Amino acid sequence: MGRYDFAPQRVHAHATQLLAQKRIANPPPWYNIIAAIPPAERLTRPPLQRSQRPGGKKASRLFKPLRLQYEEDRLRWDYFNDHPWELAKPRVVLEDDGRDAEKWDWSIPLDHALNRPKSGATSEEGVRLDLEWDGIHAQQAGRPINGEAVVQRTNDLLNSGIPSSHASTIALAEFARHQHYTETSLRVAREEALATGAFFGPGPLEIGMMLEDRQYEGWRQWAEKEIVALKQLQGSAYTGQGVEGSGQDAALEGGTVGGEEGLAKE
Amino acid sequence: MILRSLLLRHGRAALSKPPTPFRSWRRHLASEVEQTYTNSHANQNYIAGGTSGTNAQAVSSLTTPSASSDQIKLDWEFFHHQKSTTRPLGTSLTPHYKPHELLSNPPRPEDITLELLLASQAHIGHSTSLWHPANAKYIFGVRGREDPIHIISLDATAAYLRRACKVVRGVAERGGLVLFVGSREGQAGCVVKAAKLAGGCHLFTKWIPGSITNGQQILGKCAKRVVNHLDESVPGFEKQLLRRAAVKPDLVVCLNMLENYVLLHECALNNIPTVGVLDTDCNPTWVTYPIPANDDSLRCVQVIAGVLGRAGEEGQAARLRSAGRGDHPARQDHGLEAPSEEDVDATPLEREMALLRAAEAFEEEGVVAGREGEDGEADHVDASLTGAGGPEEDGVDVPYERDAPIEGGADERVEFSPVVDHGSKVGDEGEWATKAEHDIEQKPGPERRERS
Repeated sequence: MGRYDFAPQRVHAHATQLLAQKRIANPPPWYNIIAAIPPAERLTRPPLQRSQRPGGKKASRLFKPLRLQYEEDRLRWDYFNDHPWELAKPRVVLEDDGRDAEKWDWSIPLDHALNRPKSGATSEEGVRLDLEWDGIHAQQAGRPINGEAVVQRTNDLLNSGIPSSHASTIALAEFARHQHYTETSLRVAREEALATGAFFGPGPLEIGMMLEDRQYEGWRQWAEKEIVALKQLQGSAYTGQGVEGSGQDAALEGGTVGGEEGLAKE
Repeated sequence: MILRSLLLRHGRAALSKPPTPFRSWRRHLASEVEQTYTNSHANQNYIAGGTSGTNAQAVSSLTTPSASSDQIKLDWEFFHHQKSTTRPLGTSLTPHYKPHELLSNPPRPEDITLELLLASQAHIGHSTSLWHPANAKYIFGVRGREDPIHIISLDATAAYLRRACKVVRGVAERGGLVLFVGSREGQAGCVVKAAKLAGGCHLFTKWIPGSITNGQQILGKCAKRVVNHLDESVPGFEKQLLRRAAVKPDLVVCLNMLENYVLLHECALNNIPTVGVLDTDCNPTWVTYPIPANDDSLRCVQVIAGVLGRAGEEGQAARLRSAGRGDHPARQDHGLEAPSEEDVDATPLEREMALLRAAEAFEEEGVVAGREGEDGEADHVDASLTGAGGPEEDGVDVPYERDAPIEGGADERVEFSPVVDHGSKVGDEGEWATKAEHDIEQKPGPERRERS
């Protein structure tokens, strides 16, 4: 082909030719291993999707990569359209071992941390509920409870047969309860810290205001210089001393033509 | 996730008493050591355990100037006892991702899993508008509504990565030189580590165009040495190495293909196989063994480089094992001749003088002086990697224009004629001397000249 160079794929064949022509006496060290493990084929395009309906006028999408769609996408669309500020919350996308899906159990409610049974509580079968809660909490306490958690919880509820509107209501209620608890505890902790002598630096709003003030100061100094320059320019059109009055007065005062003196005075 | 040891909250109750000999030694020395460790928090007995209220044995430092080895030994044991008793206290972290471990303890080829590649962000490709359509078969799908990106298929990544590992292991096992190249910011660490493991070379700065095709000019000054099958340096080849340019690699691993297209092109010209990390916007025909993965993620690149380095390490170990057993690998072309007696026996100073004289004589006459062509060398001389004596060793006495040494000690400038490739892309092979790595029997001269 014209603009492709297949030399990298043909290193072994090339070396074989060189050996046959005795250009090199001995094969290079990679000769046998590349013979055993040949390079993969290049520039082939296997079908990746189903073809269009036969007889269609549009070009086939058969060889284009598939657009991936999941059920949770619909839930994400609905949730983040209803709660756009959830998108502004920072989210950690770093994974440890890529097996988070195996760890997190979304059949456990999102506010599980707030639902510990009383110590010693037993169910009818005699199961210690608090110990059961402890066991679940030990495994699932690390779940990130955010918008994505709401989506996953809703999905799990839907899969267990609950109708869709009810499922989203349940998940949202759990999430709201958890958020309320954590936000309150953060607020209380901050108040306690302030009351016991801690001090915090400027928050993001204060820092934003400081930056804006700094920019404004810079602009103000620039503007002052510009005003002075503009006045000079305007003053140079008229003769006479540097008068603060109107241009007409300055012109009536008289003086040399050209106004170089005016300029020099400024 | 952090697990809290609910039972071992209080150190005092949890700590067991130290072993008896230790305690007896401490008590024995208590009379000598008058200065006890005073802790205002009244937990002086935290090492002794219990609430016996005995003399504080938590002595951290002793002021006796005559610190004998016994005292040091006691301190050492004390320290380790303290450590082992207090270790189970407090929180314990579940295994999690530690970025430095990718450099200090890289994963092995057996550790390649789809989950590892997923966590390393190897599946994240570029925007769909920037793709190279030839990579369609490595792509799992498209994600995103507004600005869609391609998702690289991790099955393909794992399969191609394992294949590349086998190649690297095989090349290292046969004594080939592997060059690891990664010129993006932050890739230096993994490139150097992989090269160290595989016994190869590394490059983490810009590839100077022409380093292979114009090597005698660009890399003429680099250090060269001849090693035997056990990787020990063999003396006596310094004069021959003077006129040899740098070694060409046998396999090049490139971690950012788009920036190093010149390097890959030079390797193609010189018939050197290449391995490369292929993103969705790279040309797959540029390398021999592509690894479809994300080259923009440092974690992904470190995983790939680490795995390939480990494969090279296994190959090196296998090679040294077989070399120790006496299985010498196949012969190679290096074009070196057995050094004469005087070369080997000379003292370093005399050798230096001989080298200088040879260099000056070479520049004057244009022909290598003192050419010995004798075999009968008992020592196994190691082979170069590719090529052998090139066109200039046909027996025709032409001036060594293409192989003139660069600044060979004298002030005269040497004019270089432009290198002309006579059609064959592998014609330069003969000129290159190599860091010989295998033991090989010395080939007689006439046989070498039959080539070309």
